[in-house]
Amino acid sequence: MNLTTKRTLGVAAAVALAFGSVVATTAQAAPKSATIAFLSPLTGSEAGLGQDELLGAKTALYEYNQTNPAVKVSLLTADDQADASVSPGVALGLAQNASVIGVVGSCCSGATKADFPAFKAGRLTVVSPSATNATLTDPKSSTNGFPFFHRVAATDAFQGPALARYANKGVTAPKDYLIDDASTYGAGLKALTSPSLKSAGVTVVGSDTVIAPASDYSATASKVVASKANVVIYFGYYSDAGKLKKALDLAGYKGAFASGDGTDDDGYITSAGATDAEGTLITSQSVPFELAAPAAVLKDFTAATGLASPAGHAYVTQAYNATNVFLSCIKSGAVSRAAIQNCVATASFTDVTGSKFNFTRYGDIAQGAPVGAYLVKGGKIIPVGNA
Amino acid sequence: MNFSVVGSQFFPLLINGLALGFIYVLVSVGYTMVYGVLRLINFANSEIFMLGTFATAIVSTSVFKFNQNSQPSHGMKLFIVLLCCLLASMATSGVVAVFVELIAYRRLRTKGANRLGSLISAIGTSITLSEGVRILTHSIPVASPRVLSKFYVFKIHGVGLRIDQLLTIASGLLLFIAVDRFVTKTRMGKAIRAVSMSEENSKLMGINLNRVISLTFLIGGLVTGAAAFMYMTVYEQTVFNVGFNIGLAAFTAAVLGGIGNLRGAFYGGLALGLAEEYFSALLGSQWKEITVFVVLVLVLLVKPNGLFGEAVQQTRV
Repeated sequence: MNLTTKRTLGVAAAVALAFGSVVATTAQAAPKSATIAFLSPLTGSEAGLGQDELLGAKTALYEYNQTNPAVKVSLLTADDQADASVSPGVALGLAQNASVIGVVGSCCSGATKADFPAFKAGRLTVVSPSATNATLTDPKSSTNGFPFFHRVAATDAFQGPALARYANKGVTAPKDYLIDDASTYGAGLKALTSPSLKSAGVTVVGSDTVIAPASDYSATASKVVASKANVVIYFGYYSDAGKLKKALDLAGYKGAFASGDGTDDDGYITSAGATDAEGTLITSQSVPFELAAPAAVLKDFTAATGLASPAGHAYVTQAYNATNVFLSCIKSGAVSRAAIQNCVATASFTDVTGSKFNFTRYGDIAQGAPVGAYLVKGGKIIPVGNA
Repeated sequence: MNFSVVGSQFFPLLINGLALGFIYVLVSVGYTMVYGVLRLINFANSEIFMLGTFATAIVSTSVFKFNQNSQPSHGMKLFIVLLCCLLASMATSGVVAVFVELIAYRRLRTKGANRLGSLISAIGTSITLSEGVRILTHSIPVASPRVLSKFYVFKIHGVGLRIDQLLTIASGLLLFIAVDRFVTKTRMGKAIRAVSMSEENSKLMGINLNRVISLTFLIGGLVTGAAAFMYMTVYEQTVFNVGFNIGLAAFTAAVLGGIGNLRGAFYGGLALGLAEEYFSALLGSQWKEITVFVVLVLVLLVKPNGLFGEAVQQTRV
């Protein structure tokens, strides 16, 4: 062995040793903790939606941490106020926070859409419990969330026809008046409901767009009364739905009032008042947690949230399922943003009922999801079956 | 354009517009009185209104224990509840208005600060009050339970006048007349007008300038508080930024009528309330604010001083 060979072997041995040390160090530094962000309105006029969903996320995380896992997971809450002008800044903060490896949220389509640039730049995977606007996962849309956005609720492409059916169910010679709140969600749902009304032979006697939030809906109510409509469908969120319903009742409107999942919140009853809210028809992709979850999970819900029952809280089931998507991936060893993205896109998950699901290429549930029918009765929003 | 709606709903829209208009009138009085004596736009007036709405909600829910499931009151209890809510709203707004003048404006004025300083102080006060309530309430709207049963006082051929609308229109009109009479007929009112015409000459004539200015803020606050009570009676809900849209509309009404002129605020407020209702019906609700401001600009092009007022250029403090 000459000197050159000795030197070469020496260098190779040193490199191998160094490489081994690095590998060993990397293995030793495998993260013992991870952070999932929960992004939704926690303050503001639509705060009820985010606060409800937070209950599901907390329950899933409580159950996960009870198993004494190798990787401890914490939940970072972030408040987007359901406001597309506020949300991008919050999303950017999450994208720049290296400890965050996934985001549960947001509840609302407008804010979700506005967050896409930040999450795409940060390569941060998002699973929304309730952002239902169809364009968010539409392959033809230039503003979809591919490949980072996913959701565990049916899109408004399913809710629109269901809302059209449910709002006019049992109404003789229905004459509908459509009102949207000019939001991404409201205008989008209106556009997906109108064709179903037309194909069902329903006469649409009028339409209006209100700029929410507003305080005075008396002019809109006067137009509804003048149109002699017997069904009003509102496409928007609960706070203004309540104000509109109140104005309609005061103007003497006696027909049916229906709305989509944006109104599926007890805040609607507070906003409209129990008397005026009575009889309101609501469609929602939210599955009541108290009906879907087994007894053991309901016990965990109480332990995690301090609440006796999830009844009256919307989208708890979906938030629980969305959080479990990330927790399932973390259990399988995905603890970086890239690994999470790969896991969410390819793995199969189990929802609270025990059913398996996975995501399509553009982020929707491949197995589809139901749209429920709800009714305001006795000052509560109660489920009455599928819409 | 939907002319048939305006035709068939002309009177309901008129009544709705008048009720909304009288709320604008009273809030406009708050802006125009302060402008009259100080040549200053009191941007905090919208938050003075907001605090009045919260006072009404707090009194009905915390003092009289009304909630969303409560039945409306009747008889003497109704009278007492409404009176207490009105007084609480007026007192809150009046006291806050006086404090705003003391804290945000007086020292700047006595130290001879320029008008831009006062303008920033006004904006800062407005934001501080609004954000303070936002933090306290987590931005969540607060609903005020229905205390007054909203029955129709009369109804002819489907056109009726509800009790809350009658209350708003009648009390708004009476309150405006009272303020107008106070300013034109009383000794203190004359002092306010004197200060409005010339601060220096008023001082030379022995008028206590600080007292007159505080009184002006107090009256503006009391009237704005009354408007807040009426707003809660009609719309039954408030939120930390409720004053923004109402304040903007009332300020617009004051400019339309001629800021600094009390009767200008009256006509401007009513015109704006009616315009919002009829334009919403005619063009669609989403066009309401655009059309209202287009009309405002067109009016100012023809009458730069507003309908009854002085040079609008001077409103830019």
